[in-house]
Parts: sequence; C-alpha cells; structure tokens
Amino acid sequence: MDEFESKLPVSGVKNHVFEACHHVVKALRASDNNLDANLRKLLSDLESHLSTFGIADTKVEDTGFSEIEVRFKESVKTILSWETNHSTILESGPSEADHFFQALYEVQTVVMGFKALPMKTNQKEKDVYNQATVALDIAMLRLEKELYDVLHQHKQCVQPEYLAVSSRRKDIVYDESFVSLDDVEVVVEASSHEDDEQISEFCNSDLIDPSVLPHIKAIANTMFACEYDQAFCEAFISVQREALDEYMVTLDMERFSCVDVLTMEWNDLKLNGAMREWTRVVKNISHVYLPSEKQLCEQILGDFESVSSACFIEISKDTVLSLLNFGEAVALRPCQPEMLERFLSMYEVSAEILLDVDNLFLDESGSFLRMAFHELSKHLADHTTATFLKFKNAIALNESAHPFPGGGVHHLTRYVMNYLKLLPQYADTINSLLENINVDDSIPEKTGQDVLPLTFSPMARHLRSIVTTLESNLERKAQLYADESLKSIFLMNNFRYIVQKVKGSELRHLFGDEWIRKHIARYQRDVTNYERSTWSSILALLTDNNNNSVKTLRDRCRLFSLAFDDVYKKQTRWLVPDPELRDDLHISTSVKVVQSYRGFLGRNATRIGEKHIRYTCEDIENLLLDLFECLPSSRSLRSSRRR
Amino acid sequence: MAPVTEHQSSFLSRISRRNQIVSMDVNHEQELEELEDFQKHVAERFSELLPSDSPESFPVLSIQWLRKLLDVFQSIETEFHSVLTTNPSQISKPPLDKLVPEMLDRIVKALDICTAVVNGVDSVRQIQRLAEIAVTALKQTPLSDGSVRRAKRALSSLLAALNADKISGSGGGSGRRSTSEQWSSFSRRSGGSGSGGGCVSKNWSAAKQIQAMTTNLVAPRGGESSPIYIMSSVMVTVMWTLVAAVPCQTSNGLAVHLPLPKNQIWASAAVSISERIGEEMKKKETRCGGLMEEMQRMERIGLKLMEFSEGFRFNGEEDVTAEVAEMEEICRKMGDGLEGLQRRVREVFHRLVKSRSEILEVIDQHH
Repeated sequence: MDEFESKLPVSGVKNHVFEACHHVVKALRASDNNLDANLRKLLSDLESHLSTFGIADTKVEDTGFSEIEVRFKESVKTILSWETNHSTILESGPSEADHFFQALYEVQTVVMGFKALPMKTNQKEKDVYNQATVALDIAMLRLEKELYDVLHQHKQCVQPEYLAVSSRRKDIVYDESFVSLDDVEVVVEASSHEDDEQISEFCNSDLIDPSVLPHIKAIANTMFACEYDQAFCEAFISVQREALDEYMVTLDMERFSCVDVLTMEWNDLKLNGAMREWTRVVKNISHVYLPSEKQLCEQILGDFESVSSACFIEISKDTVLSLLNFGEAVALRPCQPEMLERFLSMYEVSAEILLDVDNLFLDESGSFLRMAFHELSKHLADHTTATFLKFKNAIALNESAHPFPGGGVHHLTRYVMNYLKLLPQYADTINSLLENINVDDSIPEKTGQDVLPLTFSPMARHLRSIVTTLESNLERKAQLYADESLKSIFLMNNFRYIVQKVKGSELRHLFGDEWIRKHIARYQRDVTNYERSTWSSILALLTDNNNNSVKTLRDRCRLFSLAFDDVYKKQTRWLVPDPELRDDLHISTSVKVVQSYRGFLGRNATRIGEKHIRYTCEDIENLLLDLFECLPSSRSLRSSRRR
Repeated sequence: MAPVTEHQSSFLSRISRRNQIVSMDVNHEQELEELEDFQKHVAERFSELLPSDSPESFPVLSIQWLRKLLDVFQSIETEFHSVLTTNPSQISKPPLDKLVPEMLDRIVKALDICTAVVNGVDSVRQIQRLAEIAVTALKQTPLSDGSVRRAKRALSSLLAALNADKISGSGGGSGRRSTSEQWSSFSRRSGGSGSGGGCVSKNWSAAKQIQAMTTNLVAPRGGESSPIYIMSSVMVTVMWTLVAAVPCQTSNGLAVHLPLPKNQIWASAAVSISERIGEEMKKKETRCGGLMEEMQRMERIGLKLMEFSEGFRFNGEEDVTAEVAEMEEICRKMGDGLEGLQRRVREVFHRLVKSRSEILEVIDQHH
C-alpha cells in the first residue's frame, strides 16, 4: 500500500480509482495460472484504456472515470438482464456467454479495486462500489442457478446394465422346491438382467455431457475467484448427490433399518431380493458410478487443492454409508444355513471391491469410508464362515422321531446335496475363508487315484466332512426301521442319491474318484444286505433237503407263496426312485428268485400238483417287477393270478 | 438373599449344611459387591456429566459434552460386560432372563438410532457451512449491500434448517424444494427430512424408535438394581439424549420424560440430566432434535444477524463484528468437534454390535 501511495498525484481523488484498477490488473496478471481467455482479454482491454489516461490530466481524468462508469453501468445492465432470463447462459451461445462473463469481471474489478484503496474516498465512489457488490452478488446467484440448470439438463444416464458379471452364475431361489424339485436343474430365478450383460472394468461413463464441462469449469473458476467458492460447492454437491440418489432409485435399492433386516424371515422375498440387489449395486457403484463421479469432480475442481476430493466425499458419503449399513445389518443375522449362499455372495463382493474403494477414497478425509469397507468385509467373512460351519452342525442335529415312509430319499439328503451342488461356484471365496480351519477328512492324504489339487482344497475337505456328517445322520435314521430290509433300502437309496449328485456335478472333481468308488461300494453292500434279509429265508424254502414228502413239498410251496405275497404287499409300497438302481435290483432279485423257484418247480412240480402251485415262474417274474414301484396299497395281487 | 432356613436333624449334616451356606454366602457376597460396584460406577460416571465449575465441564448438550456422554456410555458398557462374564447367572436365570430378549431388541433399535445420529450430524455440518457463508459475507470490509444480500440468503437458509423439522415435518420430500427457490442450493437439503438422502429407511422415525425402546423399560420387582435393567436404562438415556441433541429423521414428537427410577443412587445424576434436557425441549416448544448447544447459540446469533441484515443501510453506523466473531467461533467449534462426534457414534455402533454377540454367546453357553 505504501508503494502505491507514493505514486498518488496531489490532484484529483478520482485518480485513486485508476490507480486501483491498474494495481489490480497488475496483480491479476501476476497470478496468470487461473486466468481464462475472458479475463485475459478483459485485462488487456483495461490496460490499454488505463494507459491512455495520463495521471496528472484532470480533464482526461474526468472523462476516464466517466468512461469506466459507463462501462460499469453497461455491465450491471447485462447482469440484471440475466437475472430474469431463465434460459441457460450456455444455450444462448458463446458470444452471449462471453458477454456475461466480461460484465461480471468488470464488476468484480471495480469491487476489488475499491477494496484495495485506503479509506478516504468520496461518496460517489462508495456508491459505485456498493452497487458493484450488489451486481456481483446477483451475478453469483445467477451462476449458481446456471450451474444447477446445466448440470440437470446435461446429465447423462449411467446404464445399470453395465455390470461385471461372473460368467455362469445363475440366480438361485432357495425355496421349498429346493427339496422336492430334486433331479431337475434347480430353478433359475427369472432375473430381470439378461445373461449377456456386458463386462466393464472401470467403465468411466460420463455423468455429464463432456461438451458442457468447459462452461461449468468457467463457472467454478469465476465463483472461486470472487470468493463465492462455498456457494459453488454447496450447489454442486447438492445436484450431484440428488443425481446419485435418483440413480439408486432406478437400481431399486431400498433402504432398510437394522430392525427391518433382523425381523424379516430368512425366506422373505424382500430380504433376499435386497441382498441380491446389494451385491449388484455395490459392484456397479464401485466400478462405474463413483469413479465417474470422482473424475467429474477432478475435471471441474481439480485446480483447487483438496476441494475436489472433499466434494466427492460429500456427494457419495450418504449412499455409501447406507450400503455399508445394510451389509453390517446382514452380518447381525443369525447364521442360518439357508442363507449361506446369500452371505457368500455378499462377502465375495465386499472383498472384491476393496481395491477400488481404496483408490476412490485415497485421502485422509476419506479414510473413514475405506476403513468401514474393510471392517464390513471382515464382518461378512466371519459371519459367512460361521454359517458354513453351522451348516454341518444343523445336519448333525436333524433328528427324526419316525422312520421315513417308504424308505425313499430323505428330505435332508436332497436338501444337503442340492445345496452342496451350488457351492463350487464360490470355490475361491470359500477356500479363502476356510483356509485355516481344520477338519476331519475321509481322504486324509493324497492317494494315487486323485491328483487334482482341487480335491484337497479346504473346501473339498469341508464338503466331504459335511457329507460324512450327513451319512452318520442317515445311519441313525435307518435305525428307526424295524424291518431290516427296509433299513437297507433306505440306506441304499440315500447313499446312491448322494453318489449320483456328486458324480453329476462339479462336486465330482472336489470329491475325487476314490471317494466315489468307496461310496458306490457302500451302497452295493446295502443292496446285498437287502437281498439277504428279504430273500434268504424265503429262498431257503425252495432248497431241497432231506424231507421230501409230498406234504412237506406242498407246505413249502404254500409257505413260499405266502411269504412272497407278504413281500409283495410290503415292498411294492417301497420306493427306489433311482431308475438304474431299481432296474438293477429288479434284475438281480429276479435272477435269484426266479432261478430258485424254477429249479424248485422243475424238480417238484409234478409231485406237488398244479392245484397247489399258486404262481408260475412267469407270474413271479412279472410280480417282481412291481416291487419298489411305490404302488398304491390297494393294488391287487389277484389281477395277475391265474386262479 | 439365600434362604438360610433349612435345619437338618443330625449334627454332622447341620455342620455340612452350614458350611455350604457359608460358602454360598461368600459367593453371594462377592456377587452383591460386584453389583454394588457397578451401580457406583454408573452413578459416578453420570455425575461427571452434570454441569459444574470445573474446567472439564462442558455445557450440557454441547458437542464436547456429547462426546463425553458417549465416553461415559462406553465405560459403563465395558463394566457391564465384565459383570456379565463373572455373573452369567444374571442373564440366564429367571426372572432376569426375561429382560434379556428385550435388551437385545433395544440394542438393535439403538443401532438404527446411531445411524440416524450420524446422518443428523451431517445436517449439522451443512448448517455449519451455511453459517460460514454468512460469516464470510459479513466480514467483508467495507460491508456493502451485496455482502448483506449474500448474508441474508445464507442466514435465512440457516434459520430454516435450524427449525427444519418444524417446517418440513415428516412429510416426504415436500420440504425439500419450493418452486421459487428451486435452484437455490441452500434450501435444497433440510436436515433430516427423510426422503432419499440421509435417512435410515422410509417412514422410519427416531422419536418412535425411542418410544419403542422405553415402552417396556420397567424395573422388575426387586430388580431395580439388576445390571441388565441398569444397562438398558443407561442405553435408552444415551440414545434419547442424542436424538434430542442432533436433528434426526423425524425426531419431532420425542418424549419429554424418561422412565427412570427416582429412588436409585445409580440413576440420580441421569435423572437430573434428563430433566434438564426435558426442560430445554419444553422451552423450545418444538419436540424435535436439534437442541445441540452450539445450534441453539447459532440460532440466537443468527436471528440477531438477520435483524441487522434486514435493517442494513450502506454507510450505516451499526456494527456486528462481535456477533460475527462469535458465529465464527461456533463454526470453528463445530468444525473441530463434529467429525470426532460422528466417529464416536460409529464406534458406539460397533461396540453395540459386539455387545449383542457377547450376550448371545453367554446365553448360548448357559442354556
């Protein structure tokens, strides 16, 4: 200020304004970095005007000041005209826009010029200053509106379909059909997203039409230069946050309180839908939307240190926190095994995005968000692991009070095997969760047959252990049968089912050939047991012994028929659902029984007499085919009898 | 108290029974001591929050005081857990075991309150930013019509936000944008209007949640000093206080009174604090959140500054530098304190989560 004072002439207070302008122009020139074309032009105009005015020339002074005053009045008029003009400055074209900005800078220069002056100024200049501040404020408010309008009108849609999708994963609905819909491929939920979703890594879609960015940047620079940066940021944050909120609405992401999440039942469609939605949304937000938002902030506010990241955090914070909260609420739910798949997918996503999150919120100011994501991922990991381990427990504790009717495949067996079939798609995730958790494995060491490392992965070991638990449980359930034969049928059915499920899916690589071999042998033993317990005593009737009297033979024939009827009545109501197994049983039974009977008849038929022989060999052969067909009880034996 | 009434006929059995009783008494005594210690702990910590002349005492409902409140809560919580682990019978035996499911339920509700409070603090930060704009405008020298215009805009949004719940209520997005000010950033987001941004979930209400938490908060007969009951009461008190202080999603209709026992030593400080806050609520005539001391002061000064701005004349003599400086000071306090407050609340959230799983574990082990 001192240096300035010494230049003052003795005459004319109006010189102060010139000097001030000159001073300001010099100062602005010195800080050349943030000047855009408009301002630079204005400065050179001003400079050339100023240089034509001599300082000591009073007459010229007067004209000079009044010229500035005239220009000032013009600028104010321009600004005022825009106050009531509701179309955007942008759409009125570059020359109109330039005009406005120039007017604004003129006004600003007057304001800054006056401020740089010492206190002694005349009333006229003070009034001009006052007017200028009002004009400046009007202009700033107008720019705020402009920002809002332009951001709104040139918003671009982010396609929600641009999601990174893991290739073959289908959406499974876990419901009652899980248990009964057995050998058909488990229901794929009608998902509203197409299977050919495009994969995009960091697809930076432009949230705003790039062609308007220079205009927005000009607004930013202007407002910052005029110390209205707070207003700019508030407006910008507000619009962008609103846009993000709307985007979340289009993604159908509803907000739930902790109370909501904990009171909904495990099979509540809303809850399951929300969990599925969450995994999609979290991926989308971290891969696509937020990086684009961050980029936009950088483009507009990158010149103002730390403002860009502060705005980005304000814009995204609320949405991000609500997503995190949902995740935390889910991690509070009881470890219900039915929800294992949902937990797995949520955990998987939460771990996947950690790197992206770290990149998005690099600064100190964003560290709380980074930490929150890491914490959530850990909570979900713990929760998912606990649920997985509980699955086995739940199987072990599943007690039956009564034997399963018909000896067919138990619901528990179906449930468990269908569930296990779904898990290989999460192999990587499950393996990482179970890495340090030991378990007893039915195949403790690598044997010659199995060479795939897959077979000895943590997941494989745990799954085998789960099946072992299931098998123990089935053996307990089998003890409920009074009838030895039915017990064997039950075990045979269930163990066969297990093996078939393993063989027919991804599980076969996990369980390995040796395991399969062992388990086939297992149910073969049950087949043998069945045959023995059903038929050995009956067939004993048909073997020749010392007592060959006609009476005895007739008795034995009769007893055989009665016993056979008994077996028929009972065992036609039993079920062997697996067609191959059923066929095998039919064949082997048939071979045994029919052979014995044929031999018996061959040796003794004439002596016994036709009258006393109820069934022919053919009869027996045909009747045997009815076994294990699970026929309604009233199926008549008589229909196939000759007499 | 352990029944000491049985008498056996034989001398020996009498001796052995007496020994049994003595050892039962000793254990029981230990238990009682621990429970008493717990009550004392609660009483002492809460009394730290009472207004006093000591330099460590902060005005009730100020940011620093709220942070201290959370410290108190956390310390009581920690004590409670050590009591639980050494006396698991506290929650596994009737009749106290009935209190447990209610407590677990309250914890979950408290989690949602924490979420709402974190959002609410964000609204306060926005209010702070509005105040800062007013300060920037009014600090311009020389003060001009343009600056005052700017200040008026900021102040009117500020004052509206400070009474946000009164205006926008719980009615969806109605308060968010009036057509004339549609494009003014200031009126866009009124704290806690609860639609879209900044809400726990649709139709959620902080006041209702507190209501639900206080519904069954009744001391079991003879159980006024049971740790569960005490802990539940403390938790409800803390949550209620937070909702009163911070503008939360629909916190109007907040109960003015808390069902705390009047004759228990552990509760007396808590009762007097809650009465004091209740009075503030009645004074303000609105039963909505936002009683934070700094916000109240902001409102007072804001009104003065608004009066000044409306009567402003360029070249006038009036001077508001003192008020502006005070406003700036409040902004600084907010700037320093609010983020820390948010962090504390988030910590409390996580602590409550842990607490819940610890209780569930204790139940599991003892059933």
